[in-house]
Amino acid sequence: MVTYIVRRLVTAVLILFGASFVVYQLTALSGDPLEDLRGSNAPNRDQLIQARTELLDLNTPAPLRYFGWLAGAAKCLVPFAATCDLGSSIQGEAVTTALSRAMGNTITLVTTATILAIIIGVSLGIITALRQYSGLDYGVTFMSFLFFSLPIFWLAVLLKEFGAIGFNNFLADPDIPPLTILVVALASGLIWALFASKSWKRKGVAFVLGAVIAAALLFLLDLVDWFSDPGLGPIVILITGVGIALGVVLLTAGLRNRKAVYASLAMVGVGLVAYYVVNPILTAATIWMIIAFGLVMVLVGLLVGYLMGGYDRGQSMRAAALTGVLMGLVIVVDRFMVTWPAYVSNPRVRGRPIATVGAQTPGLDDSFWINGLDTFTHLLLPTLALLLASLASYSRYSRASMLEIMNMDYIRTARAKGLSERTVVMRHAFRNALIPLATLVAFDIGALIGGAIITEQVFAFAGMGQLFVQALRRVDPDPIMGFFLVAGILALVFNLVADIVYSFLDPRVRVKA
Amino acid sequence: MRFTRTSRAVGVAAVAALALSACAADTGTDSSDGGDDGEATGGNVRVVEVNAFSSFNSNTSEGNVDINGKIAYATHAGFVYVNNDLEVVQNEDFGTMEVLSEDPLSVKYTVNEDVKWSDGEPVDGGDLLLTWAIGSGYFDDAKTDDAGEPVSGTTYFDYAGDTSGLALTELPEIGEDGRSITLNYSEPYADYMVAFGDMTGEAGISTPAHVVAEKGGLADEDALIELIQTAPAGDPENPEERPEVQDLADFWNAGFDTKSLPEDESLYLSNGPFIASSITPDQSMTLVRNEDYTWGPEPKVDEITVRYIGEAPAQIQALQNGEVDIIAPQASADTVEQLEALDGITVEQGNQLSYDHLDLNFDGVFKDADVREAFMKTVPRQQLVDTIIKKINPDAEPLDSQLFLTDQAAYEEAASSNGSDAYAEVDIEGAKELLDGATPEVRLMYNRDNPNRLNSYTLIAESAAKAGFKVVDGGLGASDWGAALGNGTYDATIFGWINSGVGVAGVPQIFKSGSGSNFNGFSSPEADELMNELIVTTDEAEQDALQVQIDKLIWDSKYGIPLFQVPGVDAYSDNISGVEYMPNQMGIWWNFWDWSVVQ
Repeated sequence: MVTYIVRRLVTAVLILFGASFVVYQLTALSGDPLEDLRGSNAPNRDQLIQARTELLDLNTPAPLRYFGWLAGAAKCLVPFAATCDLGSSIQGEAVTTALSRAMGNTITLVTTATILAIIIGVSLGIITALRQYSGLDYGVTFMSFLFFSLPIFWLAVLLKEFGAIGFNNFLADPDIPPLTILVVALASGLIWALFASKSWKRKGVAFVLGAVIAAALLFLLDLVDWFSDPGLGPIVILITGVGIALGVVLLTAGLRNRKAVYASLAMVGVGLVAYYVVNPILTAATIWMIIAFGLVMVLVGLLVGYLMGGYDRGQSMRAAALTGVLMGLVIVVDRFMVTWPAYVSNPRVRGRPIATVGAQTPGLDDSFWINGLDTFTHLLLPTLALLLASLASYSRYSRASMLEIMNMDYIRTARAKGLSERTVVMRHAFRNALIPLATLVAFDIGALIGGAIITEQVFAFAGMGQLFVQALRRVDPDPIMGFFLVAGILALVFNLVADIVYSFLDPRVRVKA
Repeated sequence: MRFTRTSRAVGVAAVAALALSACAADTGTDSSDGGDDGEATGGNVRVVEVNAFSSFNSNTSEGNVDINGKIAYATHAGFVYVNNDLEVVQNEDFGTMEVLSEDPLSVKYTVNEDVKWSDGEPVDGGDLLLTWAIGSGYFDDAKTDDAGEPVSGTTYFDYAGDTSGLALTELPEIGEDGRSITLNYSEPYADYMVAFGDMTGEAGISTPAHVVAEKGGLADEDALIELIQTAPAGDPENPEERPEVQDLADFWNAGFDTKSLPEDESLYLSNGPFIASSITPDQSMTLVRNEDYTWGPEPKVDEITVRYIGEAPAQIQALQNGEVDIIAPQASADTVEQLEALDGITVEQGNQLSYDHLDLNFDGVFKDADVREAFMKTVPRQQLVDTIIKKINPDAEPLDSQLFLTDQAAYEEAASSNGSDAYAEVDIEGAKELLDGATPEVRLMYNRDNPNRLNSYTLIAESAAKAGFKVVDGGLGASDWGAALGNGTYDATIFGWINSGVGVAGVPQIFKSGSGSNFNGFSSPEADELMNELIVTTDEAEQDALQVQIDKLIWDSKYGIPLFQVPGVDAYSDNISGVEYMPNQMGIWWNFWDWSVVQ
């Protein structure tokens, strides 16, 4: 195994050398850095040309210039010496500084979208596999391919038009006309019906139920002016909590495990108490306080599960801990909602919360909650755009893999020996279906840092993609090389990680080495 | 019935409200009514820029980017600025510029007494002297070979502006009051008014000498003055090592470059209406009012937020969503169409200072003036404007002068007398007559990656073919066309020039025999003579008269033909007033002090 990894690493270094040389040459050939000056009629044109020639060392041929860059980059390999020199941009900023900033921005932009895409995509894939060839399957397939094939810049423009400009207009005067309620109710009914199982009768019931619930909810929210003054309040938190508890137990232990049900419900109670106890403290919240709160909820959950005892303590502990964390999440979300009116009326936000560009409202320096909401309103649209575009691959891969597993002999065996469907799906099929996805996820995390060039451009987000595009426009090789180094190294590393992880997950493919 | 329904609704609402919020936890949010961060009275204006800020010194060749120049404009003051009629306006509140004698030209600059940097230091003679030393290239002794490779010596301050004007002056003395400096020119210099920069790009008196002195390794500002006044001028024939000047220059060249707000306030001192208060790299920047500032037009708003958005559609949607107040996107037909469809937005259209022109080489097929004239007669200028420009700027017309832009006062006079009216209409018959049956082959070079140039080429080639010209498409890619200028591989070319709008130093750069940007080999002894006179003429009326004459000589020689000025567009929300279109590179920033928030 070790020799295998070493071999792969050596190849990776060689590939990186070759590719960096090619990229450097391509960049140098991609344009004329003096273009704007050559056609200039400035009285000091020659002097300006000379200054830039010297700055970019243009009199040295590009293949030689590459080695100059390489000599600086090689210093990055010296550990702890802080001699790293990746050159500087045409405007004199060190590439290392620009890279770290751009990477940070890109990570904030893409992480949520990727995590959500994985969770939602995989769930959709599993569900559609379990309901193969149903209306739900066709519906999800159609939608995911639709979004997959929409150009992302167009999707982004649509999102801005309706999700930001339209929604902000709505928020200025949140009054839902009856027609909208009707349309939403019908849509909701259809979605419910799609999720309901095969018989037409059940579908009909689901349709009516879905439509009525959506209509009633909208009507109520409109009535209490919830959109301008949102919040959950203890009763909704309680109801949501019970729902969460039952859902969690259903997936992790099965509702027949009474101890797990009681442990989770106890955690809902704990959460409700926490809602009253923690909220006053949260006024001065920091991100660490929130994380600590989450950890405490997990620990309490584990304790409650442990005290509940019984035949399989582990299951109760897991269920209770998960419920605890989710309750904590609900409390935090409630707190954000309660802060919403203060955010919207902030003079810098000027009553138009959902943003179309950038990562934050300039000059807005307020509490954790206000700034958190600000990040949310700025990341909402780009995250949605990225999410919609990448749902397809995850859902299709996981559906295919799940279908393959469900037709395996061992699944039939598991059913034959009388295991419940939940156990068969969650334990025997689901886990194994995830193995092929490990490769996909590893690649995507590698590509994450590379940035979403078009999305960043459309949403004016200063991440890796913009760094790359702007450097390319100026025919400025150093930032491009920095970008390439990061993206290239990550691609190679995660390629390797994917292979290694695969061999750990699936004993059948362990490499002989 | 109606009553019961209402009361039932109220009941439902009450229950719902109870369910949603009753006995909610103490979140501490009810007491604060939001918006308590002390928004001052003048309000805040949010402007969009395409490029991201990168340096507090816009005078170096690295820092010389449009956005840096605009920030420098808002945070510094100088003796003059340019208004949107492209006139130089003196700012007497900052200081006075007094012509002591016309010939030899001697100008005394005095900064008013209470003018100071934002750290309290006065703006004084030391600052003027340092600005002079940088802008004149006084210490430079670099020598370059034909390929542009430096052979010996050093260029100390990497100054992006033109040093030729101040280089005509001898080492100035600081006046008795310590706030003035007198420049004695060896010969009259036409652009003396903007010798210390015209606030477009080179932002007035923008370099605090006391900061440069301390950061550059000298004891204080007096040591700097001492150094400048005692060190001999640079001589390319006898280059010498100047470690002290080198240290100063190294700091000046790179020390102000930053994408984030420096910890050290002395790196972003202001002596203008605004001062930088916060920067989010590559995203936004905030300027707040410089409370001390009284020496010039006083701004109405308290804060300007600059946001960087590259794409025009994203700018438009941000404006529509109320996230920003003023945008000046890249002008295109789509942009204008989208902007005009919006409510609550004012759109301003106009010309920019860059203009496209067709130049004919004075050798090859075009050696014969008749052939040049014939080609000029075929150029469908009105059609070019109609198809390319009118969609963006409905008021656009073909440009009828080689030296003046339509926005300049002397344009009408030049255009009516230079003979350009002969080319107002396409005259195929006239061209055929001049060609007398010949069918010359013309290779036309242009940047084919620029859609406007490609369109121009297509229309010009089509029209010229009717008169018998065989036009060969010599279009080159964006990375190649610039290098091909003046290398003799083509007969005619279409490209753009930028008229600074102010000053006359740019004229000989293009039209003088053998000059750096004279690519088509135009040479007229008579015009050269007039241009020599032009650059030593300090009177504006005389400058205009000379330029009108030069313009006519150029047209008479069948130089080629100017096509159109590139259109520009800006748009602002109805929440803002005072924004005015400006053709030069400062754009809407030129009168930022007039911006105000409509209450």
